[in-house]
Amino acid sequence: MIVNLLNIRFKQLYREILRIGFFRIIVLLGISFMFFVFLYLQTSKFPNAMYASTIALLLILMLHTKREDKLFLKINFSSHKWIYFIEYLFVSLGLIAFLLIHNFWDIALLTIAVLGIISQLDLKINRTSYNTRIQKWIPDECFEWKSGVRNLFPIILIIWLFGLIFSFFVGSVPIALFILGIISLNFLEKGEPYQMITAFEKDPNKFLSLKIKQQLAILTVISAPMIIVFQFFHFHLWYVPFIVYIVFCILQVYAILVKYSFYEPNSKSAAAQIFIGIGFVSFMLPVFAPLIILLSLRFYLKAKHNLSYFLNDYY
Amino acid sequence: MITIENLSISYGKGKRVIDALELTISEGTINGIVGLNGAGKTTLLNAMYGLKSIETGGIKWNGERITKKAVSYLVTEPYFYSNITGNEYLSLFKNNHFDIKKWNELFLLPLDQIIDEYSTGMKKKLAILSVIKQDKPIFILDEPFNGLDIETCRIIRSIVLRLKEKNKTIIITSHIIETLTNLCDYIHYLEGGKIKYSKEKNEFKEFERELFENLENKSIKLITELLN
Repeated sequence: MIVNLLNIRFKQLYREILRIGFFRIIVLLGISFMFFVFLYLQTSKFPNAMYASTIALLLILMLHTKREDKLFLKINFSSHKWIYFIEYLFVSLGLIAFLLIHNFWDIALLTIAVLGIISQLDLKINRTSYNTRIQKWIPDECFEWKSGVRNLFPIILIIWLFGLIFSFFVGSVPIALFILGIISLNFLEKGEPYQMITAFEKDPNKFLSLKIKQQLAILTVISAPMIIVFQFFHFHLWYVPFIVYIVFCILQVYAILVKYSFYEPNSKSAAAQIFIGIGFVSFMLPVFAPLIILLSLRFYLKAKHNLSYFLNDYY
Repeated sequence: MITIENLSISYGKGKRVIDALELTISEGTINGIVGLNGAGKTTLLNAMYGLKSIETGGIKWNGERITKKAVSYLVTEPYFYSNITGNEYLSLFKNNHFDIKKWNELFLLPLDQIIDEYSTGMKKKLAILSVIKQDKPIFILDEPFNGLDIETCRIIRSIVLRLKEKNKTIIITSHIIETLTNLCDYIHYLEGGKIKYSKEKNEFKEFERELFENLENKSIKLITELLN
């Protein structure tokens, strides 16, 4: 039965690859290759090997708590925890191989052991909704923000206040902007039902422009106070928060275009999440920044085409 | 008037679900579409809303290609974006004359609560409210009575009848044939991708008896064979 499930997983992977498309797969392979080279180099020295392993384990732990097929696996497979373990081992194979190549046997074994522990954990996120007055200030059409703020209100508030209160420390505002930027990118991971798109009664072009304008407006409202306060204390570095803000504005636009390029009602697109992830990583390695601009143009056309299926009557 | 001419729709390669279908629906009437599971009811409704690519033929509303601007569509299983409230969802649909508070006196939904906390029936009620709020000339209701209590079913029935009085054209599917025969002016029986019979509700009752007797006899024979 486990073999059958793994077989299904490979088929799911294959279908997702087909969905991503040949050209983008090549781009993806190129970026993945660069990433693996980077990982290989980092795992060659201590303590970087330890950090790489810790980050990988944290990501897998996050994935484990968020995965939505747990109930299905639990009902249908008595050995569902083995399935988690085998899947996580498969995902971490590259890292473990690099650790072994560089003779970090202890870290490799520790990584495998922690993967075993993670697969045994039965973690659930207790989602609490925070109904605040803030939701009323967010435009109705920005349901991603309404939903996201409701879900993560205390975290967003703490980070925002941290940025503001500790703005006399040079790093606080850029770090707060950076984290809030990442959080807001996550708001775009879920596809809404198509009724929420057709409700706009706009053609794809106007729909995308409105979405982009509103997302950027909210990001600006959140960022502006922190950027202004930063100027009081570190005017000689005035451009630093602006750079972070502009990077996340570009990423927001890119993420909206990616979301609607791969949009399917009521689902999270794995392809969209991969490309948003690539966008984020690319801006951390500035060499790739132009690639994101080019991909944005490509995704703009694709998003327009994809949305015309739902909005073709509103031209 | 809705005119469907020579409509064909396929899934993938060769699997034709709707096959040269012809149907005419008059304005201001209530129309039931019945058929066995997989007969193509939802595919037909999706095509009417423009959510399914048409292979041949077309669907017209008063002589023009039907568009989403003319249709309010209730899907079988409504899905909602997580962590938004009922009020926030309804506010996406523009209609200044729609009094949410008054309408909600019928459904008693906790509209300030997030939709994730709603029961299946409450979600259905919310979807129905959103469809009513859209207030377009054609109402397509795919299984509107599924998951609803008797009281709400009665309310929906009254709403549908009132919509008819307002000259709206209504198309309903349901697995509960009695509901349709009591509510609809016309019933269209879908089989093999075609409308096999279009009848007025009184004529349909006669046809229904024959049809289901045949189906039941066939099933009983098979069940006896299988359980022997």
